[in-house]
Amino acid sequence: MNKILLFNEKTKMADVIHKDYRLIPVISRFGINFGFGNKTVLEVCEENKINAWFFLEIANSYHNPQYFPKKQLQSFASDLIIQYLSNTHSYYLKVKVPEIEGYISGMKKLASVKNLKNIELLEVFFKEYEVELEKHLDYEESRVFPYILALEKAVNEKECSAELLGKIENEPIEKYERNHDNLEEKLGDLKNLLIKFLPPVLGKEICQKLLIELFRLEEDLENHSRIEENVLVPRVKILEQKLLQISEA
Amino acid sequence: MKLNNGKIRGIVAARQFLYRFGIKTIIGVIGVDAELIEATSYKEIQLITQKERCDFIIVSEELLVMPKCCSLEALQGDYPNTKLLVIRDKAVENCPYSSFVVNTDNQKEILDKLQDFFFEPEIKETPDDIEKLLLSGREIEVLKSVALGFSNKEIADKLFISINTVITHRKNITEKLGIKTIAGLTVYAMMNNYIKPGDAIQ
Repeated sequence: MNKILLFNEKTKMADVIHKDYRLIPVISRFGINFGFGNKTVLEVCEENKINAWFFLEIANSYHNPQYFPKKQLQSFASDLIIQYLSNTHSYYLKVKVPEIEGYISGMKKLASVKNLKNIELLEVFFKEYEVELEKHLDYEESRVFPYILALEKAVNEKECSAELLGKIENEPIEKYERNHDNLEEKLGDLKNLLIKFLPPVLGKEICQKLLIELFRLEEDLENHSRIEENVLVPRVKILEQKLLQISEA
Repeated sequence: MKLNNGKIRGIVAARQFLYRFGIKTIIGVIGVDAELIEATSYKEIQLITQKERCDFIIVSEELLVMPKCCSLEALQGDYPNTKLLVIRDKAVENCPYSSFVVNTDNQKEILDKLQDFFFEPEIKETPDDIEKLLLSGREIEVLKSVALGFSNKEIADKLFISINTVITHRKNITEKLGIKTIAGLTVYAMMNNYIKPGDAIQ
């Protein structure tokens, strides 16, 4: 994976995947299907009615963590970013989590009587993680995202309701603790339990796949948090400031 | 047990004479030629071990000051080359410090255990074993309490140590295991049978 070369609108969509296969789920999150022949990023995006510049910013920031043109990403409308983040959320819950659960139950089926207990412990542990993840994502979807959309609407209409103003003053985005830390720690713990402490299992291949998926999920979540923290939150802060100024004027 | 110049030296510690006499007799019966020093209190054990090196200590539970595992650990910590055998009502599970003879053991069981104690190959802590154990006995105690849901303050009170010491232990545990969350530590503790599913407080 060449991390220095960045993708642009003329890059062939197929090359994007060839250069960085980790972008496969990202592409599908945008609703892009395979079979794009030799079309460029711009062409594929236009066909799918996707903002190509937004797609490129996301793809590039995934591809190279050092690449983070916050300003540009922040210039996109909030709903675009939010829609992308929502798609990512459902990808975690509908694709990733069931996949990992499937591997764990596969390991259970092959486990020796003695080791079954250990795998069941991991299963319970992951279930807890899942509940926490779900709660976290749900909080964002039901509380944080609507708040941001309301802010944006108010800025565009230059009109801020008293209720929204109260929220800006009492529960600004700053207060919203992005509780990723515990989620990341739990994922790390699960990896270490598998790598360091689970007695050798019979279904080695499944165990390996499980581990690889956990690493992928972790990486994906990191990128996801990066977009939330570096793009969404600063953007919301600007919106909040603007609205406070409008209301004072 | 390695023989020191052909002869080993050990302490037989119990309050009652009958106990000590019985232990000494059995040691003779299984053919161990050892220099035996009798002790009737924990203090005495400490005094003897300060003066001379002992290969083993056979101690009856009533001499161990509370909390029991603490003084076991202290004893083992001070004399890493000394083997410990404790006689009590039941064995302490997963105690890395000591072998146990249980009061309800019958003659055969006692003879077997003592034979194992004296003649089993050295499995004392070589660097490999320490690596395998990963956590010290004290850290295991703290880990258990953490996994059972006790707060730092409660753990400190329970183990007679300061909260800072508890925090240090927890930091070391997390560093050694690479496990940060309480849920993760609980899974680790259960995997290693340090606690059982029913033990957890709600």
